[in-house]
Amino acid sequence: MSDTAVTAKSYRATIAGVLAVVIVLWSVVPLLWMLLTAFKPQTAINTSTPVLAFAPTLENFIRLFTGGNSIGPYILNSVLASVGSTVIAVGLGTMAGYGLSRWKSRAKGNLSFWIISTRMAPIAAVIVPLFVIFRQFGLINSVPGLIVAYLTFNLPFAIWLMSAFFAEVPTALQEAAQIDGCNKWQAFRLVVLPTTLPGMIATAVLCTVFSWNDYAFATAFSGPESQTLPMSAGSLITQTGTDWGQLCALGIITVLPMIVIGLLVRRHLVTGMSMGAVTGE
Amino acid sequence: MMLPALAVLAAVSVVPFISLIVMSFSSVKLLGGVGMTLLGLGNWTAVLTDSQTWHAWLVTIEFFVLAVGMEMIFGTIFALILNSLRRARSIAFSLVLLPMFLAPITVGLLGNYLLDPTIGLYSWVLRVVGLLPAGHSLLGQQSTALLAVATLDAWQWIPLVTLIVLAGLSSVNPSVLEAASVDGAGYVRTLYSIVFPTIAPVLLVALLVRSMDAIRYYDIVKITTGGGPANASWVISLQLNEKVQATSLDGITTLIGQASVIGITMLVFTTIIANLFVRVLDRRGLTR
Repeated sequence: MSDTAVTAKSYRATIAGVLAVVIVLWSVVPLLWMLLTAFKPQTAINTSTPVLAFAPTLENFIRLFTGGNSIGPYILNSVLASVGSTVIAVGLGTMAGYGLSRWKSRAKGNLSFWIISTRMAPIAAVIVPLFVIFRQFGLINSVPGLIVAYLTFNLPFAIWLMSAFFAEVPTALQEAAQIDGCNKWQAFRLVVLPTTLPGMIATAVLCTVFSWNDYAFATAFSGPESQTLPMSAGSLITQTGTDWGQLCALGIITVLPMIVIGLLVRRHLVTGMSMGAVTGE
Repeated sequence: MMLPALAVLAAVSVVPFISLIVMSFSSVKLLGGVGMTLLGLGNWTAVLTDSQTWHAWLVTIEFFVLAVGMEMIFGTIFALILNSLRRARSIAFSLVLLPMFLAPITVGLLGNYLLDPTIGLYSWVLRVVGLLPAGHSLLGQQSTALLAVATLDAWQWIPLVTLIVLAGLSSVNPSVLEAASVDGAGYVRTLYSIVFPTIAPVLLVALLVRSMDAIRYYDIVKITTGGGPANASWVISLQLNEKVQATSLDGITTLIGQASVIGITMLVFTTIIANLFVRVLDRRGLTR
């Protein structure tokens, strides 16, 4: 390689480095600012010029957990609703996803289409009929109601994604197991299922993130008995003013578990977020 | 094996869908037990002749073009930048992904905070460089509100497009790139002739996934501008929401019937996109 080519290459690498710093800053500055604000005393927040030097305090977090509006119960509701709907969605979705991936029929295209349009239906269009139905069955303002509501997007997602993961498992693997004396169910449970375990975990994580972050369904169907974390963020805004310190503390509490589990399955994120359409070839 | 899941899916999708259609032809009351009386085409004519419906659709399309446009363009640029990094690629990638994990409601609140006219960090920055007069808020002005909301949506979802495009970029054959560089092709030429044609299907998937979501979500608009100022960011889901909460003149029956009509028109829109999505996959042999 000639000298000019080498300089051109290192020149390009420098530009890429600088641009990378810019896009990382664009992505994380709001988050860092939220983190800083969560530890700021009130006086360091309401300033017209941003303050970087302040005495860190846990006051915002303490106030979130004390008093009549403690978020403790809301954390529990959030966990119950998202874990509940995730377990049901992944359980049923795994079975259906396997069936879908092994099914050879002309109707398969139609079925796939129905599943994806269920997942992507506008939230507002789903909420209206569910609200009327929930009123009839007394599911308003209850955690089971939220679990059912979250199934409307988590179940089709789990079916679709698991079928993409199962499609990557060669049928020969299962046939070999059956030749070795397994029945169909044993072959599925002992041979096919373990190979898709990482995919199952990724599906579960994404289902949890989707339902944990939901605000629209929660505000439509929940009341004081089943309030979730995103809902309590909405209720911290009052006419008299917004307590940004508490809101930022709440934001940190809400996002931290999702970042942790989300980055754990980073390898599978692209498959999950594109519903298997990119890597599930 | 598919039966239990499909039965549950039918219960949470087909039943609401049918009741959505029935409600669109009825007047619905909630007080003293749920009740419905058939109304004929009343809801449909009421919605379709309401100029606010059309305004909401127009705003929705503007939002759609702004948000999805930014996400596709910057998502691709971010991916190209990350892909050409030699060091620290993994950590930079993880950091760029972070906004995706936030609840949309948190993104909206964070936007409110950063763009607050008196204490907002970004308002301060814009003021210092002279782009924003004192006391003004990007979210509070009719000319910039929709752009600000779309930017918040883009901030959260650019990482998703980046993620998908990066996966596509890994399938670009390095020896082809090497050959192009030996033949004297510049960076832009290489992008146009080799990289983009290779990742085109992946870009299309990203576009369709984001398109369906852009119609789907409304948390950010609701919490930041609430549709204002002067309806400048009044997207269709807010219009639907307003009809759900409104009662008609007699004070008993609701406007849920009209809300259902809007819901159906939104569903039609998404269905068209979902159809395209499945067709793209079909061509790649995924649903067979």
